[in-house]
Parts: sequence; structure tokens; C-alpha cells
Amino acid sequence: MTKKRQLIFSLVRGALAILIALLVAMLLIFISADGNSFGQRLSATAEAMKQLLVGPLFRINAQGIKFEGKRLADIFAAMIPTIFTGLSVCVMFAANQFNLGAEGGIMLGAFSSALVAIYVPLPKGLHALACILVGGAVTGVVMLIPALLKVKLNVSEMVCSLMLNYIIMYIIKYLMNTAYADKSKGQIQTYPFLNSSKIPALTQASIFTSSKLSWGIVIAALTVAAMGFFMYRSRWGYQIRMIGINQDFAKYSGMKVGFVIVLSQVLGGFLAGAGGGIEMLGRYPTFGWSALPGYGWTGITIAILAGNNPCFVPLAAFFLAYLGKGCDMMATYANVPTQLIAIVQGVIFLFFAAERFLSKYRQSLVVKTANEEIAAKMALAGGGGSLPQAGASGSQDSVKEGGKKDE
Amino acid sequence: MSNLLSNMLSPGFFFSIFRISAPILYATLAAIVVEKAGFANIGLEGLMMFSALFGSLASYYSQSWLVGFLVALLVGVGMSLLMGFFAFQLETDIILVGIAVNLMGSGGTLFLCKIITDITEGKAMASTTGLITSKLCIPNINIPVIRSIPFIGRVLSGHSLLTYTAFLMCILTSIMLYRTSLGLNIRAVGENANAAASVGVSVLKIKYIAIAFSGLMSGFGGAFMSMSYAQGWSQDMVAGRGFIALAAQAMGGGECLGGMFSSLLFGFAQALGIKFSSVGLDSNLASPIPYAITIISLAIFGFVRISRAKKPKVAA
Repeated sequence: MTKKRQLIFSLVRGALAILIALLVAMLLIFISADGNSFGQRLSATAEAMKQLLVGPLFRINAQGIKFEGKRLADIFAAMIPTIFTGLSVCVMFAANQFNLGAEGGIMLGAFSSALVAIYVPLPKGLHALACILVGGAVTGVVMLIPALLKVKLNVSEMVCSLMLNYIIMYIIKYLMNTAYADKSKGQIQTYPFLNSSKIPALTQASIFTSSKLSWGIVIAALTVAAMGFFMYRSRWGYQIRMIGINQDFAKYSGMKVGFVIVLSQVLGGFLAGAGGGIEMLGRYPTFGWSALPGYGWTGITIAILAGNNPCFVPLAAFFLAYLGKGCDMMATYANVPTQLIAIVQGVIFLFFAAERFLSKYRQSLVVKTANEEIAAKMALAGGGGSLPQAGASGSQDSVKEGGKKDE
Repeated sequence: MSNLLSNMLSPGFFFSIFRISAPILYATLAAIVVEKAGFANIGLEGLMMFSALFGSLASYYSQSWLVGFLVALLVGVGMSLLMGFFAFQLETDIILVGIAVNLMGSGGTLFLCKIITDITEGKAMASTTGLITSKLCIPNINIPVIRSIPFIGRVLSGHSLLTYTAFLMCILTSIMLYRTSLGLNIRAVGENANAAASVGVSVLKIKYIAIAFSGLMSGFGGAFMSMSYAQGWSQDMVAGRGFIALAAQAMGGGECLGGMFSSLLFGFAQALGIKFSSVGLDSNLASPIPYAITIISLAIFGFVRISRAKKPKVAA
């Protein structure tokens, strides 16, 4: 298939997946809508959908629709942690390691960063950097557990990382109750971060004002670029991707499979942990998470949407943050529970991950391309002749497509 | 410490081990059968959440635990068949299907709970614990003769109906896998799908049956969670049991008997955690014990498996 057709196919497929998810959402909203008659319910549904789709950027009221810079800033702010977990999952899934530890990883990173931010006085600037690096390093070291168990003892990294999520959460809760608790406060939280550790807000401009949006978004963007370079332009990134595509091939071509599997999970852990630190220092005055934040699971959805390519992670993160904001708006203005996001996200996830979703359409595109190539060759050879159906080269192309699926 | 020990030797402690193990055992049986058919269903957690929610709601609206129980089974089987459709027909990676179901099972169930209770109650509820009375729970069974045996009676009698069926199901699943043609087909598909297909076994059908079985077991587990273990559904109530079951399956060597013992081990760990908090230890320190035991035991079993595999080579 030509690159252009491949792009068209991806776009059509993505759009259709989103459309199906929105239809499911609409159906659920319709069922739950207030009103007695069909018409009333329909208009309530339309109102809710308007909030979901337009609400994240615009204020809708009787006077019309007005752009809200603050809501856009909120969306960007919500992208900070999920970009990091998305990148983390990308690296691990690209090596075919189904490590689901980004969820616990971001909490552990946030907590370790918080401890450095509270107890280790350092000069401004250096302090934040130290916090983030410690958060990332601690999580990276913890991810050695599933990685080494996988490589040495062939223990499922998936089960192991899931268990670790719970262990991390309970131990942090225990530490927050005891050693690091700020007992002077009513709720369970740590002491406030030192001022030198805070990541400042990105802008003070009044139209775009949001206390939640920190310089973290810039760090996230730089990390995306670095990871894109790492995965597609560096030796280790290449090895990670090759192991993900065909581990046996990678092994027989002389790659150190064990090392690269460990590397991918430790790097994934580092990214999740650093993201937790950045989120914590840019957004909160003190550590108060008492449950897993859910960013890890969103990160998995992002990685699937981005096809494990770091460069597409910001797009996917923006899309999910937009949807999340839309669901919040819907909960505020249309009385639809905000957890609708989980169902919408799940449906989109399923259709993006479905290999054979629209496979007939892809097949028709492949055949069309092949026929065109044959026609072009015929014309070049000077022989007019009748246009053959997808011949030798056409079927070769489809074999290639089929081969891809088998991996 | 002596306080803890005397607490542990009480019949109540052993009773609670069986009670806590039951939902893990159901999920473990689900994991065993799909593993025998050659794939993994990591969506058990989400399936149990959905079954638990709809079971408790159906039991409330029909005012009958039996209807609730059957609805829980139906939801489990229906959703697992849908998972099968995505995995087998649309060729989605089965692991990703499982993750999607878990995603929906965590937040989506809360959404559904809110909109469903909103329709009839006027205000959205975030759990169904207020709706389920003890009358709507799965009944407890007192076994006539065993009940009167001093210590053992108090351990083995008086359990929920579904606790007994969990252990019964363990035996039935074992018989199904090793004594019926269906079980033979499931194992054949798991060993070598092409070979099974070549002798006329419909691989797709067998895979659907296996995943539907895992849904059925999740239905049992979900019903037990919301209609017996706790009265009513609340968010994230399954609390990783679907994942622990995956570990129990691996630890039990993929067999029913081994799976039962590893489920009991996890039940023991969890019961121990509860006892810890009852003697004044922080429950946050006790709660991670079963998860930590999972990792440690998986590591031990992995080590044993690998050193066993190495031995013949040394001999040769």
C-alpha cells in the first residue's frame, strides 16, 4: 500500500472507532436522561453530547458559544501525567512486555519525589530536578523486580506488576499514616513541599490562566521528542522494537534479549516515576493521594491509540484529556456521571486494538494499489492489453499484509 | 503475638479462609480452563465487577436472590462471549481485550450503577450496599451431621451456598477437563490448535466455550462478592482477586487441584491480614501481604520449574 493510502486507512479506522464509542455513549446518556417523553430525552441527550464534544473548549449558554482559555489550559494540564505514563507503556509494550506497573509507578514516583521535596533542602531549580530524578530512579529500580523475574525465572511480568501496584499503594498509605504524616491537618497528607522544589506555573496571562498548568508540559514535550529519537534512531530503541516484533529473530541475530527486556521495563518505570514527580511538584502543595490515580491505565489506552509510537503520544493524550474534560463538563451541566469516560475509553481502546476491524477495507485498498501498479507497469512496457486483476505482485502484497498479522 | 496465635487457632479463622478463598477459586478455575485452551483471560477482574453489580441490582429489583444470581451468571457469560468476539473474530490481542474490560469494569460499573439507580430511585447511588438486605443474599447452608462435630463443624458448616459450589466446581472442572470429550478438545486446542483442527475439532467453537466458561465462573465469583461476601456492590470491590487468580493458576501448575490449594493459600494470607489488623497492626501493612506472597510464590515456582528443566541436561 502507498503511504498515502495507509494514512487514509488509519484515519478512517480511527474516526470510525471514535464514532462507535460516541454512539455507545449517546445510547447510555439517552437511557439515563431525564424526561418522560421521547422528545424530552432526545433533547437532554443532545444537550449532554454538546457539552461532551464542545464543552472542553467553549462555554455554552443562552448568549451563544464562547471560547474558554482556562479549559484548554486544564486539558493541557491533564495531559502532563498521562503523557509520561503513555510513554512508559509505549516503551514496555514495544518490547512486547505487558508490564502494567505504570499505575503504581506514577504513585511511587510522586511519593518519592514528594519526600525529597519535603526533607532535602536544595537550591531552587536543582531541587525540582533532584526530586524528579529520584522519583524516576526509585520507580525504575522497583521495576527491576518484574523485569528480572521475567528474564531469570520466566515469571509473568503482567501478574507481577499488577501485584506490585497494590503493594506500592498500601505501603505508601502506611507511610502516610505513620512516619510522614502531617498530624496537624485534618486529612491524611504529608508536610508541605519546600518552595524551592516547586515547578512554576507556565504562564500568568489572564486569558490562559490555570494554576494547574505548570512548566511540566514543556518537560513532557521534550521527553516525547527524546523518546521518539530513542525508539526510532538509537540502537537500544531499535533492539526494543525488534524484540517486540520477533523475540527469536532478535535472539538469533545476537541481541542481548534479557538485557533489553530489563532495559525497557526499567526505562518505562523511570518515565512513569518521573512523570509522577512532575505532576506532584507542578500541581500540589503536598502529597495527599490515598489511592492509585488511574493515570497508568489511561497510559495504556494512550499507548494503544498511538500504536506504541512515542511521537503520537501527545495527540492521544490530548484526545483523552479532551474527552475527560468533556465528561466533567457533562457531569456539571448535564447531570451525567463523569465515569462515562471509562466506557467511552474502553470502547475506543477495543476498536483501535482490533486487528481485523475494517480489514476488508484494507484488503480492498491493497488490491487497488496492486492493480494500479500493474497498470502502470503495463503502460510503461508499452503493451496496452487488458487490465489484469490483482496478479502476481498484488497477491504478494496481500501475503505481506497477512504475514504482518501473524506476528 | 500470643494473642494473634490464639486468634488464628479459632474455628472462625479457618472458616474465614474458606469464605475468602471461594471467589479466588472461581476466578482461578476460569483462568485454568482458558489457559488449557491456549490463551489468557486477564479480564476476570472486570467480568467479576460487572457480574457483581448486575447480580446485586437484579436481586434488588426482583426481590429474589436466585434471579440476581442467574443474572450475574448471564452477564458474566454474555460479556465473555463479547470478549471472545473481539479476540477471535476481530483478532484483537486477548490481553488488550482483558485490559479494556478491566478499564470498563472499574469506572464503567460505577457509571452504570449511578444511571441505573438514578432512573428508579431519583438519586444516583455510588454503591448498592443500601439495597441489598441479608434476605437478598445467597443463603447460608448448615450441614446437618457435620454441624454438630465440635471444631470441624464450625469450620465447615454454615457457609454460603456459593462457597460449597466453589469447591464442587473445582471437582467438576477437573472431571470436565480430563474425563469428557469436551475437556480433551479444550486441551488439544491449547496444545496444538492446528493438530486439533486437522482431526475435525472446531477450534473457534472450543475457544468460545472456554471463554464462556471463564465468564460463567466470573459470574459465580461476582455474585458471591456482592451477594454473600459483602451485602451489595461497591466500587472496586473485587480488589484484584481476578489478578490474584491469574497468579493462583500459574502457581497451581495450571491444574484444578493445585489451583484450589493456591487459592486457599491466598485465602489464608488474606485472612491473616484481617487478623493482623484485629490485633492492632496497621491494616495498610497487612493488606499487601497476599500480593507480596503472590510475587514471592511465583518466583519460587518459577525457580523450581527452571531448575527442574535444567536437571536432565546435567544428567545427559
